[in-house]
Amino acid sequence: MPERVTEPERQSPAQRAVEQRNQAAVDEAAAAKPAKRPTDREVIFDVNDVQVHYGDKKAIRDVTFDLHRNEITALIGPSGCGKSTFIRCLNRMNDLIPSARVDGEVIYHGENLYAGDIDPVQVRKRIGMVFQKPNPFPKSIYDNIAFGPRVMGMKGDMDEIVEGALKRGALWDEVKDRLKTNAFGMSGGQQQRLCIARSLATSPDVLLMDEPCSALDPISTGRIEDLMMELKENYSIVIVTHNMQQAARVSDMTAFFTVELNNEGRDRTGAVVEYGATDQIFTNPGDKRTEDYVTGKFG
Amino acid sequence: MQSHRLHFQEELQRLEEQALGGLDLVVTTLDRTLEALQHRDIELAAIVIADDDRIDGRYLEVHQGILSLLALQAPVASDLRVVAALLHVIKHVERMGDQCVNIAKLLPISGTTPPVDQEILAQIEKMGALARSEVSQSKQAFLLRDVSLAEDLVRQDEEINRLNRECFHRAVDIGTDPDQREWAMTMTMVARALERIGDNAVDIGEQVAFVVSGLFREFSDASRP
Repeated sequence: MPERVTEPERQSPAQRAVEQRNQAAVDEAAAAKPAKRPTDREVIFDVNDVQVHYGDKKAIRDVTFDLHRNEITALIGPSGCGKSTFIRCLNRMNDLIPSARVDGEVIYHGENLYAGDIDPVQVRKRIGMVFQKPNPFPKSIYDNIAFGPRVMGMKGDMDEIVEGALKRGALWDEVKDRLKTNAFGMSGGQQQRLCIARSLATSPDVLLMDEPCSALDPISTGRIEDLMMELKENYSIVIVTHNMQQAARVSDMTAFFTVELNNEGRDRTGAVVEYGATDQIFTNPGDKRTEDYVTGKFG
Repeated sequence: MQSHRLHFQEELQRLEEQALGGLDLVVTTLDRTLEALQHRDIELAAIVIADDDRIDGRYLEVHQGILSLLALQAPVASDLRVVAALLHVIKHVERMGDQCVNIAKLLPISGTTPPVDQEILAQIEKMGALARSEVSQSKQAFLLRDVSLAEDLVRQDEEINRLNRECFHRAVDIGTDPDQREWAMTMTMVARALERIGDNAVDIGEQVAFVVSGLFREFSDASRP
């Protein structure tokens, strides 16, 4: 039998005193913590006070942080906290929802994406998106990749564009001999990599991924994660994921969103609790709510 | 707030109880070691040596439990810090058990009727009491996550270190009798083992601060005089 030790009473006066005394050690550690990331990284998105309303319901409030070039930023949080709503703000996908209204600024390479003279189509060309469920077009593998460049009127050898995108999507070797077959004949993991390759074909510099692996098996998930690590050399990636370990494995920075309940629980608004280097979020988070979420105590 | 991952939390709690229970085993072993030393009881010393298997077994149990927990549950944040700290704690438990064995093995060398020096014996007795107190206090500090209690271990450890130096000086000055010099030299090795147990307890205290604050720092810098 293992030796039993006495469990301290929950929140006894002695325990409270210990916690108060420990605060000094925590403060000291916070002050002494070395900067985890270089400060001269190029900001690709400067997000200021972004709020999104669906009709009169506020979906997210006061989101403010910088996203950096050639990094993977993970957005984590419980269901309904506004992660997907936020990521859709980054390439104006919320424009497609009639009741949606976005306030605040999303500065991309120095320009506000929501300024009146910005063409959303051009925005989506530079900022691609991959969704939860693979959604290839009912066309051949080749035509799936060529679709975007054709619509954009891109010049150049289409065969080269398709081959380049499929190679960047880590799919070329598997499909090079069957480019004219229907994309629906591919496995789920291949379809998702095809969707990634399709977004790369229009030469974006940001890739938004909304739970890209949630419908995939672990092997396919591993391939997508490897691919993300390769892609970040040339692209900046923002990923929404419910898989905490995936966020820990692949991302450089992590933003934790939570849900705030207002109006006696009738209104749910998402807000950012903490944004920081992923290793800090997963080893020593600064906010108790982040700690409780990543350790699985709530959510 | 509704608590989730109950199985994981129970498993982590059980591992902590096992690891900290290892410190109780060390206290028991240390008591026997000190008693064997005081009464020059070679049979009791042999029991201390044989019983070290229990502490080694505890080390293996906790070590395996930690590996399983890391592999199966992927702890993060404060849970991860506790797991990492427990790995240190159980290693120190194993080392402290070995120090008791080292002392027990020295007893037959010094013989049943050695030419003792009361001053050295008194110093060793004080060191033993302080080492025991440090081990108990390190356990309590970990259990309560009490950084102040952990930092207080340094104060007690300075006293052990001072007694260790005194013991050494006394042994150097003990005289010309070869038997007594041999006995005194053996006692310096006993003192050294007790001093190391104190260091192990301080290291456990440092882990308490790491668990609470997330930052590892040495309470005292051994590389400076």
